[in-house]
Amino acid sequence: MGTDTGTSPTHAEDKTPEYLEHSAWPVLIAMAIGVAMVGLFLLVKGFILPAAILMMLSFGAVLAGFLYSDTRNWRRAVSESPGRTPPGTNLGPFPVDISLTIQLIILTEILLFGGAFAVYFAIRLQFPVWPPAGAPILDDSIARIQTLVLISSSVLVEWAIWQLKRGNQRAFKYGLIGTTLLGCLFPILQFGFEWPHLIFNKILTPTSGFFGATFFLLTGIHGAHVVAGVIAYTYTDIRAFMGQYSPKNYGFAEATATYWHFVHIIWLLLFALLWQGSRLLG
Amino acid sequence: MKLEDFGTFVIFTALYAAGTLGLPKFSLLAYQVKVGEIPTAFVAIFGYPAVLGLTLGQFIANLGVEASPIAMVSPVISFVGLLIVYQLRKVSTLAGCIAYIILTSAWLTYLLPITSGVSTADAAISAFLGQTIAVMIGYGAYLIANRMRATLEPPQIEQTAQH
Repeated sequence: MGTDTGTSPTHAEDKTPEYLEHSAWPVLIAMAIGVAMVGLFLLVKGFILPAAILMMLSFGAVLAGFLYSDTRNWRRAVSESPGRTPPGTNLGPFPVDISLTIQLIILTEILLFGGAFAVYFAIRLQFPVWPPAGAPILDDSIARIQTLVLISSSVLVEWAIWQLKRGNQRAFKYGLIGTTLLGCLFPILQFGFEWPHLIFNKILTPTSGFFGATFFLLTGIHGAHVVAGVIAYTYTDIRAFMGQYSPKNYGFAEATATYWHFVHIIWLLLFALLWQGSRLLG
Repeated sequence: MKLEDFGTFVIFTALYAAGTLGLPKFSLLAYQVKVGEIPTAFVAIFGYPAVLGLTLGQFIANLGVEASPIAMVSPVISFVGLLIVYQLRKVSTLAGCIAYIILTSAWLTYLLPITSGVSTADAAISAFLGQTIAVMIGYGAYLIANRMRATLEPPQIEQTAQH
């Protein structure tokens, strides 16, 4: 419990909890995203431009307000978070909050990617041959390297957590750093090499038909999730170097790894569908 | 399957899918030997997450190759075979692997003439040899891993992790 970092539970209970219970920010941010989406639609369609811009700016204002009010607590929240579970509580490898949180996150991701893949198959089934005539056969060299990067990172983070369970903090930290670096490599390959190669050489662009549109939609959403995973790993690294994980205290690291593994599975589907499997339903 | 086993599940999915789709392919008569079949014996060590992972991996790999819809039944056959490997692990992993080879080869003997147009005899020989090579390579690796396992077993620490 809190004794892992020298923070006693009593000390933690005396402070204001780092959770903002009954916070209005999630609702406000969700509403602002909705308004921003309407604004984006108006902007793209060229309707009521001042209102559209105002709607977009309102989202920025809400986000700025949230960051201003919340980031002040982050340092303390991070430094004090071990020790908030009462002594003697056995919550297993994941505490109830983290376990439920990561399950909800994975559920929303399944819905998001499920929708995206449904769009892909709905479009694909409209064509007698897939990819449609004129669409290029994609070179999968970079995609293969990306696959290797994700497999390596998944194995490495599992190894790191396994080392932590054995009490080997040093190996755990190196494993986490290695995973983060591998994670960084993935978007560099995608947004720095693959996309520019396809777009600037006019091999495939988002406007070059249905195949191009679905390709960039799916790989774009996935790439954004990889970036989010790298940010999560960076945060996990910081906590690791602050000594906040121990053989009994690794739930957050494992939750981050779970998210990362999910992103990995999505990539395998993309790799199979977009690069390898162009003729299954054709 | 517990959430903490998700990593094992995904790694086995990746091993099958990426091993089959991403690595160089080599064919034996009518059948393409699948690198993804190599980890089959490791089901005896990693249990249900590996069973489910290899099954999903095969499903994803089949999405990525030109195949008739009937080929999408293959993961179901493999799932049954992997369950047999897992259930026989306490008796003999080798027996489980042999049962897996026989079951999947029988299915491929039925499938390959439909999807590839080869004769049943060619399909039977190539499927059996292909599966045997892949699974037995994995069984060799399993034997090595099993010996190393005792020295790498993590200490028994009470699992009360947080955050």
